[in-house]
Parts: sequence; C-alpha cells; structure tokens
Amino acid sequence: MGVMDFLIQGFQTAIQPQNLFFAFIGVLIGTAVGVLPGIGPMSGVALLIPVTATLTGGMDPSAAATSSIILLAGVYYGAMYGGSTTSILLNTPGESSSVVTTIDGYQMAKQGRAGSALSIAAIGSFFAGIVSIAGLVLLAEPLSEMALKFGPAEYFSLMLLGLAAVSGLAGGSITKAWMMTATGLLLATIGIDAVSGVARFTYDIPVLFGGLEFLTVAVGLFALGEVFKTILHKEEDGEKIAKVGRVVPTRSDLKQSAAPIARGSLLGFFIGVLPGAGATLASFFSYIAEKKLSKNPEKFGKGAIEGVAAPESANNAASGGAMIPLLTLGIPGSGTTAILMGALIMYNVQPGPLLFSDHPDVAWGLIASMFIGNLMLLILNMPLVKIFAKIIETPAKYLLPIIIAISVFGVYAVQATTFDLFLLIGFGLAGYLLAQNDYPLAPLVLGLVLGPMIENNMRRALTTSNGDFTVFIQQPISAFFLVCSLLWILVPFILRLKGKNVVVNIEG
Amino acid sequence: MRTGSFDRYASILFALLGAVFLLESRNIADSAYGSEIGPNVFPFLLGLILILLSVKLFLETVKTVQKQPNAQNPLQIKRFLIILVSSILYAAFLGMFGYLISTFLFLFISFQAMEKGNWIKNSIVAASFSFCVYYLFVVVLKGSLPGLPVWFS
Repeated sequence: MGVMDFLIQGFQTAIQPQNLFFAFIGVLIGTAVGVLPGIGPMSGVALLIPVTATLTGGMDPSAAATSSIILLAGVYYGAMYGGSTTSILLNTPGESSSVVTTIDGYQMAKQGRAGSALSIAAIGSFFAGIVSIAGLVLLAEPLSEMALKFGPAEYFSLMLLGLAAVSGLAGGSITKAWMMTATGLLLATIGIDAVSGVARFTYDIPVLFGGLEFLTVAVGLFALGEVFKTILHKEEDGEKIAKVGRVVPTRSDLKQSAAPIARGSLLGFFIGVLPGAGATLASFFSYIAEKKLSKNPEKFGKGAIEGVAAPESANNAASGGAMIPLLTLGIPGSGTTAILMGALIMYNVQPGPLLFSDHPDVAWGLIASMFIGNLMLLILNMPLVKIFAKIIETPAKYLLPIIIAISVFGVYAVQATTFDLFLLIGFGLAGYLLAQNDYPLAPLVLGLVLGPMIENNMRRALTTSNGDFTVFIQQPISAFFLVCSLLWILVPFILRLKGKNVVVNIEG
Repeated sequence: MRTGSFDRYASILFALLGAVFLLESRNIADSAYGSEIGPNVFPFLLGLILILLSVKLFLETVKTVQKQPNAQNPLQIKRFLIILVSSILYAAFLGMFGYLISTFLFLFISFQAMEKGNWIKNSIVAASFSFCVYYLFVVVLKGSLPGLPVWFS
C-alpha cells in the first residue's frame, strides 16, 4: 500500500462520528486554552489526558488511543490558533509562542484593524497546518523506515540527542536544564525494573511499585504549578480589550500577507521538526526574517500585517512539524510532545518507527484528523472569534480553583489513590518553585518519559557488546548522533563564552 | 534574576537527591539475567551526574553577584495558603467524604479565598461544578468515583 492508501484509510478513521467529535472538542478546548493566559498548551494537554481516558473508557484499546490522541493533538494546535487572539486584542500573549504577535497585532487592533489581524492569523495558521501535514505525510514513511534499521545503540544515542537538544535550548541556565533532565531520568527509575523485574527505590511501598505516574507529575508540574503562580502573584488588570470589528480581511491585506504566510509556514515547519526548537523560536525567527526581507522594515511595530501573518503561520507549522520526530522516531522534541507521547504510552501505543506498521490507524488517523481539525479551526475562528474573545473575561477567582479541582478529579479518576493526589500537590509546589527560579520543567518531563526507554536501550546495547561502552562510538550512526548531541551542548556554551546572546526556547 | 539563594539551597537539595539514589542503588541486586548491566547501573550513573551538576550550579551561584530583588507586587501569601491547605485536605478526605461534598467545600472555600463575599453565587458555581462533573463522569460515562460519604453507602 502506498502513502495515499494509508492516507485514505486515515481519513476513514478520522471521519468516524466519534473521532470528528473528539477532534472538534479538542480544537475547541485548545482554542480556549490558547485564549486563556495562564494555561499553556502543556498544562492544557496534561489536564485533558484523564478526561480523554474516561471518555474513551469503553472503546477497544487501539480505537481509544486514536480518539484520545486526536483530541489531545487538537488541543495542541488549537492552542496555537487561540494564542493569537489575546495577543492581538489584549496585548497579552496567551502562549509564549504568540509573544511576537503582540508587537504588530496589538498595534493593528488599536488602529481598528483587529478583525483583519485575527482573520489573517487564522488563515495563516490554517495554511501552515496544511503545509506541516503535507510534510508529515511525505516524511513519515521514509523516516520511520530508516529508524527501523536502528539498533539499541542507535536508539540510545538518538534519545540522548533529543535530551541534549531540549536541555540545550531550554531556559537561561544549561546547568539547570541538565539537572532537570537528570532528575527526570532518576525519577523514572523508581518502580519495578522492566528488564530484570527487580524493585528499585520502592521500599516495599505498594503504590511505588508501578513507578511515579507520568500523568500525575505532568499535571502537577504544569497545571498546578501555573495555578499556584497566578494565585500568589496577583495580576493587574490588563489593557482594555480592543473591539474586533470586521472579521473579513481586505484584498490588500490578503495580498500583503500571502508571501509571509508561505515563508512562515516553511520556516516554522523545519524549525518544528528539529528537536528542542519549538513554536516559540519559530515565530520569533520568522518575524525577524520578515523584517529583514521587507522593503520598508520601519512599518514593523506599527501594525504591519506581515508581522502577524508570518509568526502565526510559523508557530502553527512548528507544532505540526514537532509531530514528525514524535511519530516517526519516538523522540518528543518539546514539553508538549513529551506529554502527548506519555499519553500514547498510557494506551500501550509506543510512538516510533513501528507505530506506522503496528498501529497505522492511530498514526494515519491522527494525520488525517489534523487536516480536519485545522479546517474546523478556520471555520470556528472566523465567525466565532468574538465569542472566544469573551473567554478572556472569565473571572480568575472561579477559573483557578476549578483548574485545581479538574486536576484532582483527573488524577483521581485514573489513579484512584490518595497518594497520587498528594504527589500531585507536591509536584505542583515544586513546579511553581522551580519555574519561578528559571529551572525549565520540560526537560524533567522529557526525562521521565524517555527514561525507561533510554535505560533499556543502553542495557540492551551493552549486553550485546558484553559491557563494552565503546559500542556507542563504533556504530557509525550512533556515533553521529553522539557527536550531534555533543555539538548541541558545546556550541551554545562556546557562544556564551564569547559573550554572544543565545536564543533560548521559553516554551520548552 | 534574583535566584541566587534559591539556587544555593536547590543545588544542595539536588545533590542530596543524587546522593540518595547513588547510595541506595548499591542496595539493588546487581544480578541480571543474561545482561551485563544490572538494574543498579543506570541510577548509579545518574545520581553521580546529578551530584556533579549540583556542584557546578553551586559554584555558579558563588560566582554570581547577588542582585537586589526588584520591587514586586507583594505575594498573596494568605489566599495561597488557604487554597493550598484546602487542596491538601481535599486530597486527604476525598475518599472518605465522597466527591460531591468534598469538591463543593473545596471550591467554595477557594472561591471565598480568592475574593470574599457573594457567597450565594459562589456556592451555586461550586455546587453546579461538583454535580456536573459527578453526573457526567459517573452517570453518563459510567466511571467510578466515591459519590457520598462512606457512612451513607
């Protein structure tokens, strides 16, 4: 079967009524998550894992995995759409990936062109979504076929590269990022060792035998951590919400933004494919690129439509591109994709090269649903943007306690132990303290998700080599990955020594 | 950045964490069926790495000059503590009091902590949230949650 056949099959999966429903709910909640400042895509996806787990409870495992990943991915790219709304109307980015959109978007809103800015952002995001899905379709097969040839040594080195990329680009201090990675990997060793069956660090406490539940840790660190922060730091009332006005873009707006949308989509897609660099960097770079390419760069910052079109396309394309290493190699390149991976593993679906041969319905169903979801978002966002803008006015005094209640409900519904609830609150506090002091959280979650796999592959590789550690260098592909990860660590370090500013990924 | 003193404590804490894993990994049986590398090696190495990184962070904090914290909005300690303590109590008594009552109480107290007054509206919101979640989850989706206090069922 060729790619087209698989894609058609994927569409058949995606247009099943329940999957259409899941995609719709996903993008709807995603847009809301994007609009609400304080809940990012990471906490949004983490919060919804238990909800989807209960929604799909009665289905057979493979269909359940498909439906829930469709919903969760919808939240992810839906948040990229929604993030632009607050940037433009309120001058407050809903996500870190929409920070640059505020520069020109809010200026446009002040000039009464908020409607055009919002619709161009939606059109650009839609186009970018389609570009990244096309890229995903084209790259999925060859990449996963290549990855099938990898042995344990290659896998170990590849995962190390993934960790190096995310840690190298996360936050201000590389030391802190690596500490978070090591902590995540260490926490992953708690529980019964999958290879030998030996209990590690459990001290005969029954709840520890299964290890720390990934879901509990992710919801605690991201969702509760952010809620605690907002409770502690009272936010001042922001600027007034601008009037939306006409939602249909003018012909000249469309003409001016066509090229920036195309460039932003391509750039964003390639940045998204790279592990570690995410939507935030993509939007940032595409804004700079547009400013450099523009004939009159002084327009930027004063309400240039290109300054909205390019970054909004780029961040959406990047979120699609980030799905590629996740689905084909099983390496999440960012915090949000790490959470998606954790969700897949919860359903016993292992992302990676075998995903396309073992669970083609999951992989292709997801790809097809991303197409449908993007279409839904375009339709939702154009006429309903005024309603979404109203979500911003949700009073924080109700929102914050309800997020805590949803977290508790979600963890209890899946785990049903009081221990996990305490763990949740503990990680919430830790998440707040760590994030407040510039310790990036994404590497910790990534370490927790990748930990068991890294360890197993390392031990399998060392077993075949009789404990000889040089096996990782002797295999050429493995050595190549190791050199790449070394460069990823060393280059920013050397740049920093030279006193250059290194662009870091705030989103993680 | 005003992270100097936090980093110093954090580096000590993380070094301790690494040391615990490092030392405790020696108590794990290193027997491995058909494998050169036992289940103790990976945590041992990671513990070591974490200690080394913590030392590096500690040295970095010594070098950096402590800057004065810039004037910030005062932290809302009181409402945070009320909500934190009530979440802990909520977690502890969820199983005993059942979902409906404990969620209602938690939300009501937290709403009041966020903004005093308007207790009729707050209690309506809290009650409808707990009831809706319970109804959707248990009645519609057939999930299992402790609904009412243990002594009623």
